[in-house]
Amino acid sequence: MLSDTTLTAILDTTLGVVFTWLGWKTYKILWKYTPYSYPNARINAMEAKLLSEQRLGELAESRTLQNLIVNLEDTDYKNFMGSATTVDELERALERSLASTYLLMEDILPDRVSGFFRLLLEEWDVRNIASVVKAKKRGEPAVDYVLEIGTIVPRVRAMAEAKTMEEILVILEGTPYEEPYQKLLLDEISLTEFETWLYRIYYSKLLDYALSRKDEEERLILGEFVRTKIDITNIITLLRGKAAGLPGEEIRKSLVPGGTLKLDSALNVEDLGMALAELDSTKYGPVIRSVREEAEKDVSAVRDALEDYLLQRVGELTKFYPLSIATALSYILRKEREMRRLRALIRLVASGFSPERIKAIIGGGLAP
Amino acid sequence: MEPIVYVSLGAALAAGLAGAASAFGVGVAGAAAAGAVAEDEKNFKNALILEGLPMTQSIYGLITLFLILLSARIIGGGFRFTANTPDNIVKSAILFGAGLTVGLTGLSAIPQGIIASAGIGAVAKNPKTFTQGIIFAAMAETMAIFGLVGALIMIATGVGL
Repeated sequence: MLSDTTLTAILDTTLGVVFTWLGWKTYKILWKYTPYSYPNARINAMEAKLLSEQRLGELAESRTLQNLIVNLEDTDYKNFMGSATTVDELERALERSLASTYLLMEDILPDRVSGFFRLLLEEWDVRNIASVVKAKKRGEPAVDYVLEIGTIVPRVRAMAEAKTMEEILVILEGTPYEEPYQKLLLDEISLTEFETWLYRIYYSKLLDYALSRKDEEERLILGEFVRTKIDITNIITLLRGKAAGLPGEEIRKSLVPGGTLKLDSALNVEDLGMALAELDSTKYGPVIRSVREEAEKDVSAVRDALEDYLLQRVGELTKFYPLSIATALSYILRKEREMRRLRALIRLVASGFSPERIKAIIGGGLAP
Repeated sequence: MEPIVYVSLGAALAAGLAGAASAFGVGVAGAAAAGAVAEDEKNFKNALILEGLPMTQSIYGLITLFLILLSARIIGGGFRFTANTPDNIVKSAILFGAGLTVGLTGLSAIPQGIIASAGIGAVAKNPKTFTQGIIFAAMAETMAIFGLVGALIMIATGVGL
């Protein structure tokens, strides 16, 4: 028979083990979900305030830019519009609104993932740098191409105002973009290769960040998001290259590594139609098939369809992981889409298009 | 162990564990409520109701604490199990078990807070999901109710009030 002391010791040890296990499990659950409760509820509330199809339809009825500005006063864009009266000023307001959304996400999300939104903002740096350098090379006024969004807007503006191409190198000094620009100046790479290099830097940063997350769920969501974005970029590059009749080897130089797709066979086909057929067997096949006819005329139809697919996929992840970074990703994609549609709407209203025509152009859901 | 140690531990675990879990649960749901209200004040009422759900476990813990203390006559008379007899040890161990049951099942307040937090997010996006949000969060309550019923049976049949 066991003595009382032994029995008590066994009981105490058992309780100790049970409580330690319970404490550890509870800590893990709290560590994982608690930091998302405030931001995700706030983001969900923000999502409810995104412009509905009906509201966009009403905005399309504005007929004049002045009326549109008055109608936009009822939306969250009011805070960014100030005294905007022209198309350019309104577009700048939209860009400031989007930039503030990225920064808000960085602010409210847990530290372990918030840096991802700072990195996403860098895509606008890449776009700005590429646009400014292209405009300078073509001898156009580069200032017109600067978007008020990104992490280095003042530098980009200085680049646009630079008198010489060498001056831009000084401005880019210390950034990851210095080396590709130096090679471009020395004519060691072409403008297309320069742009690809910028995107490779951007996507490699995103992917490194995503795959270095400690939490498996975050790694999975961010990893899938970045890889899908890379796949979309590569598919569009491939299709545009094929539409322009470029050889596979030439297109390969513009592809970004890190995606899930193997494009070797699609690169070696003759034309756009065959490239679309090759993509049929990939996971993006059903999406591409749904816009096949339009895609043969205009590749941007594939881009729109793939962006919708990404939005839908992130939406699924949001439903599966409600307290995760997927909610923020889904919101930012919706916000970007809303901004694109509003930008188009502003231009169309300013150009005097009829409300019916505007509704038909900016989205199927708005068509009468 | 002395009977008084079993009884005290049982009462403390019932109220302590369940109370701490409720605090975490309300904390998680409260943070979500603040997020929803920060964007739109109209979310306040719905968020408040959902936020309050994980509080019930602490009430169960408190009820159990009183029942244990009453049953052992720590409240309302002299302590019943002063003598270190096998019968007293068994009865005080039953009270300890009852407290532990409510304390452990009261931990359901933490997942309930997480569910309520997700529910607040859903309601902020679409107010029509309020009832569903309540139902989902209330599911986690079942475990705490089972625990309380189990503890009541243990106290009533094993020791008596």
